[in-house]
Amino acid sequence: MNSLSMTKATYHGEGMPLFKLAFGTGLLALITLGIYRFWAKTRIRRYIWSSTRLDGDAFEYTGTGLEKFLGFLVSVVVLAVYLAIVQLILFAFGLQFIVNPRTNAEVIAQLIVVYSTFFAVLPLLFFASYRAVRYRLARTRFRGIRFGMENAAWAFTWRAVVLLLATIFSLGLLAPLMRFRLEKFRTDRTFYGDTRMTQGGTWTGLYGAMKHIFIGLGMLIAAGLSGVAQIAPLAIVLGLVGYVWLIVGMIYYQVQGFAYLTSHKTLGRDIGFLAEPETGTIIWRYIVGSFQIGLIVAVVGGLLAALAAGMVQGLVSQGPGATPPVGLLVLFAVAYLALLVFVAALALALLTQPILAHMISHISVSNVAALSLIRQRVADKGADAEGFADALDIGGAI
Amino acid sequence: MTPAAVGLWFDGQTAARLEVGVQPSRDLRGLVIQPVQGSAVVWPLDRLRAVEDPASDRLTLTLLAETQDESPRDPARLVISDAALIAWLRGAAPKLMHRDTRPGTTRKVILRIAGAALAIAIILFVFLPRISDALAENLPLEREVAFGDAVVGQMERLLAAGADIDLTCTSGEGTRALETLRLRLTDGQNLRYPLRLRVFDHPMVNAFAAPGGPVIILRGLLDEADSPDEVAGVLAHEIGHVEARDATRLAFRSAGSAGILSLLLGDASGGFVIALLGDHLLSAAYTREAEAKADAFAHALLARAGISSQGMAAFFDRIDKIDGDLPSYLSTHPASQERAALARAAGTGTTTPALSAQDWQALQSICAG
Repeated sequence: MNSLSMTKATYHGEGMPLFKLAFGTGLLALITLGIYRFWAKTRIRRYIWSSTRLDGDAFEYTGTGLEKFLGFLVSVVVLAVYLAIVQLILFAFGLQFIVNPRTNAEVIAQLIVVYSTFFAVLPLLFFASYRAVRYRLARTRFRGIRFGMENAAWAFTWRAVVLLLATIFSLGLLAPLMRFRLEKFRTDRTFYGDTRMTQGGTWTGLYGAMKHIFIGLGMLIAAGLSGVAQIAPLAIVLGLVGYVWLIVGMIYYQVQGFAYLTSHKTLGRDIGFLAEPETGTIIWRYIVGSFQIGLIVAVVGGLLAALAAGMVQGLVSQGPGATPPVGLLVLFAVAYLALLVFVAALALALLTQPILAHMISHISVSNVAALSLIRQRVADKGADAEGFADALDIGGAI
Repeated sequence: MTPAAVGLWFDGQTAARLEVGVQPSRDLRGLVIQPVQGSAVVWPLDRLRAVEDPASDRLTLTLLAETQDESPRDPARLVISDAALIAWLRGAAPKLMHRDTRPGTTRKVILRIAGAALAIAIILFVFLPRISDALAENLPLEREVAFGDAVVGQMERLLAAGADIDLTCTSGEGTRALETLRLRLTDGQNLRYPLRLRVFDHPMVNAFAAPGGPVIILRGLLDEADSPDEVAGVLAHEIGHVEARDATRLAFRSAGSAGILSLLLGDASGGFVIALLGDHLLSAAYTREAEAKADAFAHALLARAGISSQGMAAFFDRIDKIDGDLPSYLSTHPASQERAALARAAGTGTTTPALSAQDWQALQSICAG
């Protein structure tokens, strides 16, 4: 790591403006039966990108809602053909097992059918995720210079499927191999301007970040053993502590794995990165954010419920035979959907953004001065934008 | 007096950041960008565009220009932090906040939407029905029967509002009457499926056929009917659905189209709910033709069994009058009046009541025991 000059990235987004943006665009998406969601996502990304700064200069998101919508129209037709065929064939095979398995053999058959649906879609998910990352990079600029990624979605897809199978058959022990190889595959094809990024480090380096998962698992195994040995209090305590430890360990692995991977990336020959996120802070922000959301939703939801109860009361008082008018039912349904949009906007402003802010502001870049030598790259058309990811509904709000 | 200030210049060619002098041109129709070394660049005010930035203390500018990019924008950027210059630009640059689209965009959007709609329509209404019909035809009988039983179980749970109660009505007299009716309708008819009749204790006026032979009557229908012939008419209609494998076909189509619809609407903001609704509308459209065929089947069946189709006609007449209370039965069925007329026209030949007065009474009180 080049330690001569480190420059910290900073994040300047605030809760209220992002909440207003997310709630307003979410309602618009609701009114337009989902069509506006492409523009909603674009505006939210523009906010987050331009709130991120390095060396005083803001990032810029140049994607458009229209290109996302048009890309979606293409992808959805392709996917519709594929999924309709897969779904129908599986449905024909698994018909009675899906609804109501009666024997052990049928339960197994049901599992096979459910998982084969999953595996039919799985390659598409990897394919779509690579295209989505590539599209986001192609629409990200810093100091007017484009980011970009080579088109290698199919090569990524088969590698990801093989690595996933290896992870499953090793009972998760090879999870770091999958994470590292896929990250390296993407990073080594990523460019800022004309300059390529490189992923250094080794996949075994990620095991350090997994240590708390192993401790948690160890406790659960010890709990199981003491259960067998009929030492109930020890089994219960070890079980509970081990369970919480395992969950925290998984978050720790996500966060510190990211730190390891980021800190081993280089841009060109002499620009390095250092990520030092604190797992404890992230978990704390998650707890605080969840508490805030829970409180707000309880108050707002309670008020709405009281209002609804009042309306129903008024209706009942009209006489026992009165049926609820269709208009009222539609109103309830719309209010429910609006509440979902409200919660999603709260989660973005109170959970996602604070955690993102922490991650970004704990990344430093070494040798920022060398950026001046980087030259522009040509524009990437990105014909389907991230249509496949949109159609498969992966990636969430940002 | 025109304000002059220092700005940050990114030329769009390298990632270098340059400090430049920025001031309005002498004719006030452009912005002069003057690097320390080299010649000045002039950006015309009417082509200036702001890059959206939540930070209020600065303005990032770019230029309207024809490029290969997603938007017609010059790759160069100019960042100004001088409040006076920003204020002047906000007043003087007429299209600062304008979003530009390339000519022909509207045409492209319309063509793309039409193309996608056409493709999806072909998949939903040509491709999917063909495949699902073929799959339904080739489904082994025992698998269809097992699937039908699962559907009935599901429906029972739904009608019992999630409670784990057996809704089947089993009064001894009523069950015998139901068996008499079943024999009257199926004896010597050479049906493909063994008809299995059950009555569920539920006030809804409805009856439905599940794949593979089970036909469920809801108690409300028995309460509403005036004569056994009316019930026989409805049952004959449902038997028509079973024989034509309509329920199985429908299940296949729903499986395919539900996936496509949720794909189209996206899952965010309750798209799932809307997809369910849309799917129901679609399946209603699918079955109108099937309903007419089931009616025709029912007329023939009643004639062969020597039951008057006037009961069927009378039932449709009554449904038509109390339309509002019967959304579930009517939603997927053709206009009742028309059907009543067809049923009335079908009724010729000698007939006897579907059940004796005594049996009819027993059937009506099947849920009382």
